[in-house]
Amino acid sequence: MINIALPKGRLGERVYKLLCAIGYGCDDYDENSRKLIFADTKGEVNYFWVKPSDVAVYVELGAADVGVAGKDILDEYEPDIYELADLRLGKCRMCVAAKRGWRDDAGVPLRVATKFPHTAEKYYAEMGRDIEIIKLNGSIELAPVLGISDVIVDIVETGTTLKENDLCVYAQISDISARLIANKSAYKFKYGQISSLCEKLKGVIDSDKNN
Amino acid sequence: MKYFKREENITEELISLYESRGYTRYKPGCFEEYSLYQENKSFLIGKNVITFSGLGGKLLAMRPDVTLSLIRHTEPPKETVDKYYYNEKVYRQTAVGNEFKEISQTGVEITGLIDKACEVELASLICDTLSIVSDQYILDISHMGFTEGLIAAFGKCGDVIYDCLRRKDVHDFAVIADREGFDEKLCGAFCAAVNVNGNAAEALDKARSIVLNDEMQKAVDELSAVCDSLSKAGYLEKLNVNFSVANNADYYNGIIFNGYIDGVPQRVLSGGRYDKLLKKLGKYGGAIGFALYLGEIDRYFKKDRQTVDYLVLYDDNTQDKAIDRAFELKKRGISVRLARKKPEDIDCKQIINCADGEVKND
Repeated sequence: MINIALPKGRLGERVYKLLCAIGYGCDDYDENSRKLIFADTKGEVNYFWVKPSDVAVYVELGAADVGVAGKDILDEYEPDIYELADLRLGKCRMCVAAKRGWRDDAGVPLRVATKFPHTAEKYYAEMGRDIEIIKLNGSIELAPVLGISDVIVDIVETGTTLKENDLCVYAQISDISARLIANKSAYKFKYGQISSLCEKLKGVIDSDKNN
Repeated sequence: MKYFKREENITEELISLYESRGYTRYKPGCFEEYSLYQENKSFLIGKNVITFSGLGGKLLAMRPDVTLSLIRHTEPPKETVDKYYYNEKVYRQTAVGNEFKEISQTGVEITGLIDKACEVELASLICDTLSIVSDQYILDISHMGFTEGLIAAFGKCGDVIYDCLRRKDVHDFAVIADREGFDEKLCGAFCAAVNVNGNAAEALDKARSIVLNDEMQKAVDELSAVCDSLSKAGYLEKLNVNFSVANNADYYNGIIFNGYIDGVPQRVLSGGRYDKLLKKLGKYGGAIGFALYLGEIDRYFKKDRQTVDYLVLYDDNTQDKAIDRAFELKKRGISVRLARKKPEDIDCKQIINCADGEVKND
């Protein structure tokens, strides 16, 4: 039996289809159902559908043996897990963006609006830049437009939202994509099952990319 | 959820095990000067410590760890070793939640002239310790010399490469390797080291094939010698060589361990050789030890329900009658609980309801 935590939404559904293709389908699964747990009747796999930012918590605390989480979440919360594969899905970038034409004034602390305070603090600490964090939970792009921050640290996928709000990317912090993660204890006691799932998933992703 | 024995039973068995191997009990005070922890923050599991001002004005701390106190307050012998065990409460932030917690911790430390015999004995003691909690355990074993030698071979980006090794993350390592133009052989060695996992004999053969320098060779030789002795003693199937075991390189310098129990999501034990801590605290010699975090697994311990002989129930009009009845039973050596209504967490053999005078079996 292997317990898998998937993020609710498009990414999770895409990964689920890949897992079905390599033999980890769940006959109980119904994409229109609001159930959060689906158990395979053969007793080989359980799926938990959780909020994307919570996948790492479920895996770290052992409710799930493996899960799929964005690199942005892993960088922000630094869970104590193994990161077994880059699934190369849900690709985007963690960036610093600001209003077009903005110039940094190094004489005063930089006001940074973000959903990712730890990531922003780490990035600016490495640069030795003094910052003030403004923690927001959504519509981060509004902060510089309304003047409550100088810059934002956020995920940029296509850049359309930035462009429509007259913002542009000033620096890229990291590349983001979905990662297969594993609980450290489960990795020892279910090594055969987890490494087999990992290898098969890497294989199907490679062939998916090549086709 | 899996359940293990009761915590008290485990603690008793552990103490008896350590004393049977000639370890003496170390009993530290509850407080230490805060500076001890401030100067050695990265040796601690959690970085936060409970502090307060002592009567003399010194900043004191509630002990978050026992090893630092032991090393500070004892003098390692020059030609032999001292062997200690402890079973204490420590105070630190837990892995889950954002608050301080009192945690039971049991551990063993050997200080002085550390040799192979000490390392083998300690590793076997770790296995015996874990087996007291559950026979479904795995001991992850690694060597700081191997990982330090591997990281040093790259010459730069040490911290990020070490992070990748700890997470078994070869994909982010590949990005760094590509950016920095690392040699292909080095990259191959890194990926092979990440994938070393499992049976000691097989894993050590793989480890030997990726040795890049003398430091790594020495580490593999030491690890092999310890694993061979442990195999002869029957522990082979419990050993898992894994170079992703992480311990702080500023303090640890030789063999390191992490213990896992099936059903518990985090490591329940960690330890290793920490000569560098002794040097940092101005002490002679070496040291090796481990700690079992009983407090981290307390939710998995069996909790037997408490039982009393009689439950005496009363209301506002029958309190005096109930008190008299309870005293009378106690005088006869019968255990009694007085209550307004039946408590959910306690079983009783008989119930006396003073309101209606009824006696019935539970």
